Amino acid sequence: MLLKIYLKEIKDCFRDRRTLLLTVLLPVIMMTGLTFFYEKLVSDGEEESYKLAVNEEFDREVEDIFSGFKNIELVKTANPEETLQEGKVQAALILGPNFTSDIENGEKATATIIGDSFGQKSSNLKNIVQNALGVYEKSIISERLEAKGTNRNLVEPFTIEQKEISDQNPNANLLAMLIPLILAIAIGVGSSPAASDLFAGEKEKKTMEALLITPVKRSTLLFSKWLTIATIGSVTGMITLLVVALEINLLTENLKKAVSFGDNAIVIVVLSVLVSIIYAMFTASLLMLTSIIGKTVKESQSYSTPVMMLAMFPTMILSSIGINELSFQHFAVPILNLFSLLKELVFGIIDYEHILITIASNLISMIILFIIGRILFLKDKWVMN
Amino acid sequence: MIEIHEVTKKFQDKKKFITALKHVSFSVMEGQVVGLLGENGAGKTTLLRTMATLLTPTEGAITVAGYDTIKNANEVKKRIGVLFGGETGLYDRLTARENLEYFAALYGLSKHETKVRIDDLSRMFGMRDYLNRKVGGFSKGMRQKVAIARTLIHNPEIILFDEPTTGLDITSSNVFRQLVHQLKREGKTIIFSSHIMEEVTLLCDSVAMMHKGELVYHGNLESLYQSEGSRDLNYIFMSKLVRGNEHYAS
Repeated sequence: MLLKIYLKEIKDCFRDRRTLLLTVLLPVIMMTGLTFFYEKLVSDGEEESYKLAVNEEFDREVEDIFSGFKNIELVKTANPEETLQEGKVQAALILGPNFTSDIENGEKATATIIGDSFGQKSSNLKNIVQNALGVYEKSIISERLEAKGTNRNLVEPFTIEQKEISDQNPNANLLAMLIPLILAIAIGVGSSPAASDLFAGEKEKKTMEALLITPVKRSTLLFSKWLTIATIGSVTGMITLLVVALEINLLTENLKKAVSFGDNAIVIVVLSVLVSIIYAMFTASLLMLTSIIGKTVKESQSYSTPVMMLAMFPTMILSSIGINELSFQHFAVPILNLFSLLKELVFGIIDYEHILITIASNLISMIILFIIGRILFLKDKWVMN
Repeated sequence: MIEIHEVTKKFQDKKKFITALKHVSFSVMEGQVVGLLGENGAGKTTLLRTMATLLTPTEGAITVAGYDTIKNANEVKKRIGVLFGGETGLYDRLTARENLEYFAALYGLSKHETKVRIDDLSRMFGMRDYLNRKVGGFSKGMRQKVAIARTLIHNPEIILFDEPTTGLDITSSNVFRQLVHQLKREGKTIIFSSHIMEEVTLLCDSVAMMHKGELVYHGNLESLYQSEGSRDLNYIFMSKLVRGNEHYAS
């Protein structure tokens, strides 16, 4: 009986254009947009070209500072700041009136960099100009020390070397936030119409009464409807993962470098699918409750919106937590554990203890939610308007 | 066949209780057609829903074909067919056939039984032309026919109709009336609520009149006409309501 009800519900749901659109088309559009956005964001900036406004009397010698940067075009203008404000350049460099001669005479010269820290290109150019001037400053100090016969090690007593604990591409962290967030939103949005339709919608259309007068147990009805919502969420999740995997592999370069799992690729893909199914089941349990409580589809959708918003919090919590800092509580709290586990998987880490904690916590939560759902579904107040 | 004994149903609305049924008692014999009359809010739908096991009585008990609606709800469900008024309770994205097949499966009918039953019902209601079309595009009359067919798919002994002709055109209403005659000939027990006195006069053996949750009359139509000295059911109904209101006022 469960199978018959389940198959009918699946057929009914997939005949709904809204469900089809949100289950298949939405993940494709969302993932495509975000994949290209992040690909552009993580590009190393070499191909990006910038325009830097400088004074008309900009010294040839100072121009050489930027000779190594083929992507920076110097725009000579009477008023560099005004040119910047007009939006013709991304930053402006204003040197003191006697910049070169002051340096040669050992006097204090000034250089002012003007830019917009809130603009990505302007901020990048400001950093490049600052670094270039920094290198120029060091070369002047070295020349002065050498001229006085002093070892340059006197002002540079040690060198700093930075190493990452993970040999993963730093862009992996971006993906570790992006993939779970999109996955969670896609699953929530994909399964929400079906969830609203299967309980609140049936109450509204009075098909619920027709169902309840048949000799089928209410718990069988409840379980088959929950299974339908979970299936639609899982399909959405798998399509999302498939789209992101294909697009990263076929259409990107930088993101592709960030997710090379090596020998673990298959295990990581299988585990990612498992995680998305578990999340779809958990979401189905929550959406089932909001739909039982809602008297109409509209009311149910109002209740389910905050459920989908829950996915925003783990992104905020985990953005400042390193991969080595993830501990038991990150895997014990539902929703947060999906993000934590996928973060590990994106970094190529397979920790079976964390996977088991995640599965167990979600199963326990689902059982609790299902019991609440069953209690509500057995009460006349919640099953009939 | 149906025994309603001292049934009271109260609903809780925030902090106060609303009594929808007050100590309602009457019985319906096998093969009888009973008209349930009353104004809006009189308790007709609540009584039908309670008989159909959808609602649990706060007090009292109902037995259908010898089975208690609480203790043996599933046995009752197997024996009754219910059609509630207004909405037809069909799945718009499924065809008429798929709707009927689904409910047949829920009532445990085999594939062969389902096919035979759908053939019979589609012939009876003239639904063959649109049996394989999605219900979403149906007119109200077509939907009502499919809904009635769904109600009868498992060939129930007892049929409850809640205002079945509300909003139907004259042709569809006539189809329903013919159906009740046919079901009566087959020996089915039928209870239906209605506002249309002509329909009740035409189809029913007896009537149950309800007012503000109480049963104000139950009995044979002929006896009612004799005791009230009139054959105008509309007039009798109105005078019963006036008497009911006077009773409440005093």
